[in-house]
Amino acid sequence: MARIALVIGAIAAIVYPIPLQLQGTTYYQTVGFLVLVNAMLGVGWNVIGGWAGQFDFGPQVFFAVGAYTSALLYVKLGVDAWLGLPVAVAAAALICAVLTYPLTRLRGHYFAISTVAIWMIAQPIGATWEYIGAAQGLFIPVKPRTGVLASALSLQFSGPTKAMGYYYAALVLFAFTLALMAVVERSKLGYYFRAIRDDQEAAEGIGIDSRLYKVIARSITAAVFAAAGVLYAFWALSVFPEQVLELNWSTLPIMATVVGGIGRLWGPVLGAVILIPISQIMSTTLGTGPLAGRGIDLIVYGLIIIVIAAFRPTGLLSLPWSRWFRPGPATA
Amino acid sequence: MAPLLRVEASTKRFGGLAANRDISLAMEAGEIVGLIGPNGAGKTTLFNCVTGYMHPDDGRIVFDGRDITHTRPERICRLGVARTWQVVRAFGRMTALENVVCGALERTNRVVEARVRATELLEFTELRGKHDAPAATLTLADKKRLEIARALATRPKLLLLDEAMSGLTPIEAAAAVQLVRRIHEELKVTMCVVEHVMEVVMPLSHRVVVLDYGVKIADGTPQAIVRDEQVIRAYLGERRAAH
Repeated sequence: MARIALVIGAIAAIVYPIPLQLQGTTYYQTVGFLVLVNAMLGVGWNVIGGWAGQFDFGPQVFFAVGAYTSALLYVKLGVDAWLGLPVAVAAAALICAVLTYPLTRLRGHYFAISTVAIWMIAQPIGATWEYIGAAQGLFIPVKPRTGVLASALSLQFSGPTKAMGYYYAALVLFAFTLALMAVVERSKLGYYFRAIRDDQEAAEGIGIDSRLYKVIARSITAAVFAAAGVLYAFWALSVFPEQVLELNWSTLPIMATVVGGIGRLWGPVLGAVILIPISQIMSTTLGTGPLAGRGIDLIVYGLIIIVIAAFRPTGLLSLPWSRWFRPGPATA
Repeated sequence: MAPLLRVEASTKRFGGLAANRDISLAMEAGEIVGLIGPNGAGKTTLFNCVTGYMHPDDGRIVFDGRDITHTRPERICRLGVARTWQVVRAFGRMTALENVVCGALERTNRVVEARVRATELLEFTELRGKHDAPAATLTLADKKRLEIARALATRPKLLLLDEAMSGLTPIEAAAAVQLVRRIHEELKVTMCVVEHVMEVVMPLSHRVVVLDYGVKIADGTPQAIVRDEQVIRAYLGERRAAH
């Protein structure tokens, strides 16, 4: 049953932009791109927040590290996005490890607050550091590419196929992240993260170095955020502090994870597929027209999240789907 | 032969209160030692010091020839000490099998191997059929067995059981005593058993150590302990002892 759902989902994700492209629209491809980016971020956040059980409200710092690193490599050294990606991911994981190790002395709310504090420290650094362009940030010039392959290899799509190109780039990164996290979940790391979440003292008693594994968990999260940051930078063609350090880069994926099912591999995916289109549709319908500028779209969006959180706090994935979709009810 | 565990004049204070004062004891490999004493005698504090959750203010703890006085819990586990908890600490949202797998991963990096070992230990602790139950849904008796299975999965030389029988029905407690005997005989693990109920410890232990108000007041065979004046006074009070 789950296998069939997976195949249908994969086919739908691959085919999705094609009819839209034929119709000549690009808006829904961009919505799809944002769904995939947020799903990917949610899958990454799930490692520290869902499995290791440590609430991290500052992963957007590593989204910014990824975006800036790849932009700097491209602007200053002419390194292409795909080559910059592993460097950006490694840099984010390393910086995260160094920053997080001292924080692992803190537990519960205090850990959560400290991750916010690091984000707050990152903002003035981003806004004033001249080398990375300070408040203006960096602009990524588009080099003209001929052909689909050249665009794909340089992660630079333009013209009418731009939205579709980035959609597929996001799909590739998302699928790779999901596959990798599926491996992590079933590995020693996955077991150790959940042990620490359920009972840190007991985990230490069976030989688990809780501080080390918390650092590893958060660095995996940071690596995923950095990869998404690279993608976003080349999509937006610019990197500036207010944009890449925006709070939404953590709240949206966290909400997607919680709504879909925290601690479940597919939870954030389901959450992103539901929440991101709703927020986009709300802002283009309720956010325009006579009620524009009053934030009605955000109010309705917030209410939807509150309703789901109130009625299904363990997430939508915890609903008895298999019972509902069992073929053929027993009674005629 | 040097003892497996040696506690040398260990003192642990909490503010003005000495939970452990000048405690010395030794455990030989292969022994079952009962550690008894009234509530608040300092038994759990001693366990916490031996397993690295607390560090003594004075004194030394040596395990298997290594000074572990200031070593962290996960390293002490690596050296071969495992424990269970007075108030159970199962990984509630993980299944019974996953709980034990976490313990087995201490000695291997391969999950497949750890699962085989965990399955064996669930058999050994008579938890078969409960592999896939979330640990939080198990009964107290089963949770205590699960903790023992998880601790055994780390392949300890020394296993410390903190009130593994308290809160159990008489039948469950008898089964727990049986399990302790089997761990000792079949897995050759040295054990220290904390209880405040004397009846459980006496028939099980080769040797009994008694704590009272943080001080060791007796150390000897169960036969000698039940006749010890100081022990009787600690348990039953001054008036009874006088008669």
